[in-house]
Amino acid sequence: MTATATAADSTGSTWGARRPLLLLAGLVALATVMVASVGVGAHFIGPATALHALSGSGDPNDVALVRDIRLPRGALAIGVGAALAVSGVLVQVLSRNPLGEPGVLGVTSGAGFAISVGSGLGLTVNALGELLAAVVGAVAAAALVAAVGRRSPLRMLLAGMALSSVLTGLTLGMRLISPTVFDKYRFWSIGSLAGREQAPNTMPLLVIAVAVAAALLLSRQLAAVALGEAVAHTLGVNVTRVRLVTLVLITALAGAATAIAGPILFVGLIVPHLVRRAADGSVPWLIGFAAVLGPVLLLAADTAARVLLTTGEVPVAIVTAFLGGPALIWAVRRYGVAQP
Amino acid sequence: MSATGTALVLRRGRFSALVERRTLVFTAVMLVLLLALGLTALCYGDGWTSPARVFAALSGQRGGPNVMIREWQLPRVLAAVVFGAALGTAGAVFQNVTRNPLGSPDVIGLDAGAYTGALVAITVLSGTPARLTAGSVLGGLVAAALVYLLAMRGGVSGLRLIVIGIAVNAMLTAVNSWIVLRAELEVAIAAVGWSAGSLNGLGWEQVRIPFCVIAVLLAALVTRAPALHQAALGTEVAVGTGVRTESLQVQLVVIGVGCTATVTAAAGPIVFVALAAPQIGRRLARTSGIGLLPAALTGAVLLQSADLIAQLLLSPVSLPVGVVTTAIGGCYLIWLLSKEVRSG
Amino acid sequence: MPVSTRSPSARFRIVGALALAAALAAGCGSSDAGAGGDAGPTRKFVADNGTITIPAKPKRVVATGYAVPALLDSGAPLVGISTWQRGLPMMGAAERERYDEISKVAGESAAETNYNAIAKADPDLIVIGVPKPALADINMKRLESIAPVVTLGPSVPKAWRELSRRQADAAGALKGFDATRTAYELKAKQLAEKYKSVLPKLKLGHVGAYGEVAKGTFQREFHGSWGTNVAQDMGANYYGAVKVEGKGSRSVSEYPSIEELPDAFAEADAITYSLKADGSVPPPVQSVLDSPLWKNLPAVKAGKVFPLRYTEAATYREAEMTLDAADKAFAPLLK
Repeated sequence: MTATATAADSTGSTWGARRPLLLLAGLVALATVMVASVGVGAHFIGPATALHALSGSGDPNDVALVRDIRLPRGALAIGVGAALAVSGVLVQVLSRNPLGEPGVLGVTSGAGFAISVGSGLGLTVNALGELLAAVVGAVAAAALVAAVGRRSPLRMLLAGMALSSVLTGLTLGMRLISPTVFDKYRFWSIGSLAGREQAPNTMPLLVIAVAVAAALLLSRQLAAVALGEAVAHTLGVNVTRVRLVTLVLITALAGAATAIAGPILFVGLIVPHLVRRAADGSVPWLIGFAAVLGPVLLLAADTAARVLLTTGEVPVAIVTAFLGGPALIWAVRRYGVAQP
Repeated sequence: MSATGTALVLRRGRFSALVERRTLVFTAVMLVLLLALGLTALCYGDGWTSPARVFAALSGQRGGPNVMIREWQLPRVLAAVVFGAALGTAGAVFQNVTRNPLGSPDVIGLDAGAYTGALVAITVLSGTPARLTAGSVLGGLVAAALVYLLAMRGGVSGLRLIVIGIAVNAMLTAVNSWIVLRAELEVAIAAVGWSAGSLNGLGWEQVRIPFCVIAVLLAALVTRAPALHQAALGTEVAVGTGVRTESLQVQLVVIGVGCTATVTAAAGPIVFVALAAPQIGRRLARTSGIGLLPAALTGAVLLQSADLIAQLLLSPVSLPVGVVTTAIGGCYLIWLLSKEVRSG
Repeated sequence: MPVSTRSPSARFRIVGALALAAALAAGCGSSDAGAGGDAGPTRKFVADNGTITIPAKPKRVVATGYAVPALLDSGAPLVGISTWQRGLPMMGAAERERYDEISKVAGESAAETNYNAIAKADPDLIVIGVPKPALADINMKRLESIAPVVTLGPSVPKAWRELSRRQADAAGALKGFDATRTAYELKAKQLAEKYKSVLPKLKLGHVGAYGEVAKGTFQREFHGSWGTNVAQDMGANYYGAVKVEGKGSRSVSEYPSIEELPDAFAEADAITYSLKADGSVPPPVQSVLDSPLWKNLPAVKAGKVFPLRYTEAATYREAEMTLDAADKAFAPLLK
């Protein structure tokens, strides 16, 4: 830990100066991926045609494809990517656990499980209901995992994995007992953005936007808390309140992302590791970078998801897992398992 | 980080006499429990038969129901015990090697690797049973080698191995889903179905070979057990007492993978026993480290009770035992963890 | 297809295949477990698993999978069945009552066949109606030690006609079967006559219920698929063919990306789509109906869209319900 800290200090000045440039590069990457995502799919559309279609002229099917399907879907990918990446940062900073992530800690599983049970019992009939169920599930899962694992990061991870497995087992059992009722869970068991642009997603997207902004506003106080309670007190930060608000943000972000796309693991684990060096120990920059790189990653994964099979798509959660694996291995080998 | 990791594992070297006696009592209690559960499982076919009837059947008496007990129930009960013990042991081996409670085969991607191997055998090589077994063992070994090599960087750190294992697990799971998605329908049905572990329908002809393989592997493990306990104390101690850790680790990993893959090939991936049994066993036996025997006994009891529940819960229709092991093992683990937190 | 998506855990255990091979090779099983073996005359019956000697007049039959609705409808002497939840909404009151009465010996998936319960039911014939890959999950040798086993599993969707007949034949219930078939054929003929002037002229397309929302696909069904085969009996004409010929249901249906919707149905004069048995729109179909690409289709703009109910029919009695529902759906064509 101390070794990494000193390493960060020694390179601090160079990285620190480059941060705005890096953020700009991230935004350019995001724009590039967005253009690609509008063109690529089972029905390929060239950039020029796509631009035409965007302005509403050309083949009506192209227009519908670009304006009503791929663009909204891209917006969802950006929202979900930002939500997952930022909540990953918050979990890692708050729990001082480099392995923390809403997916691995069982929070997204809890949200997905709550949605599927709700829809299986006919309780969640609309998007708002799904969002509420997702947030309730996320809060319950986070509370359980945090209560069980508050003494050590490792135990928290253990509890999260146990919880995920239990929920997986329960849903498998429910599906075997009553396949017709819980058929819908097939969707909520694996994250995907296909066809989700049809659902009314304004509410969860709004929640994500507000929560990301709140996370940025909170970041300096959070950084103080991360330095330890004593330091935080001397800096005049209310530790309990910051922790509580951060927890609320984590569950809101994870819940909203899951309500849109179903459980997607790994984005929240990879992105903080990837941007940690660039952020150079600054929590506000960490959150800022994550909010840009998360969407890049998810949008790229979602675009790749459309062309990996000859017919149909691979659910995007499968692609993120496949991309996330090597990225995580690289990060662990490069930086070691240190604290953010 | 590493300090927290080893805090959950063995730290003190010498067992006191008290611990030894407790281990003995624990072993006896678990054996009695296992016998009771096994007998209950033998009594339960569709409806109950009396224990006297079961003993008569086991002693070789002829007649329809007796054959059912000998040919149907007995192999299933033994499979639950042997497979449970094998999974528990494999989990204990890995958790000792990685010195981390999360370092169990199902977490670090060995089950997923075995499944990948089996999928390749089914889709590419039109899987005969032999190829399926070979494929799943090979897949497990390749996954283990991959995790091990990627985690090696001036020695294998437990936590890094787990993180890399989780990453490899996620990648392999993704690959598996992709294979299933692009496979032909009929193949996909067969492959997807393989993912829920079950002991239903196992007869003598299906369990004989796995039993032999597991017996050989466990025997090999027993000869290395003292070295394993040395190694669990930490690499420095082990080197000091003359244990060659690198080669020992490789041997142990091969044995652990062998146990996991053999069970997986015979009964499908029965998850969570390998992860939970060593931890539960450690707490029940109150040993400070993860012992092989407590893990094996706990694994056997866990799988046997899970299989009984799987049969009884929705009788006459039964559930795959994998569903039940997940639910029981997971809940118990969470409960144990929270209890530790409460008692400080 | 119903066969695939609704039989979730056809677990491929190596032992299943071994057992099947062993069972085919020789019947060296434990002979003293079989019960009703000495019950009168026998006959040879050709099934998927070879030529099997079965009782000429079975009195106690166990059925699983697709054999359950077929044998319920033809009034076979059932003593044990697997659960068949997907068929519940299509059961008549009488069939439902019998379904509830008969003891269950297996769940929805073949892997969890309860051998002890089958033995307890003491059958003289076992009819297995699960798809071929799922057979690997069944310990065949053990079943054969209980009673003669015939496996008659589904292949292509429209083959339910032949399949249910063979299942009823094995169980000695041809008489009940023939009654339902005659009623169906009569009704199909009447309806074909009724729609003769309109239906055969239309180039039809069909959206099936087994697309996957999460994969962004819809199911397009062609001639002889689940959603189309009964409508064809009343003169409907579905155009086109699958791009890549597959086995089983893949020979008559495909799963393109929802983005290919315009290409798929550009030529269609009219489009039919599958409803659930309870009359609601299944989610995969709903996502197609909600797509902006759907609203641009010529057939949709012309208002020529017809929902079809009971497309999962696998027996003549169920298919009669499909005919009635299709008659209601197509009625606007005659105006």
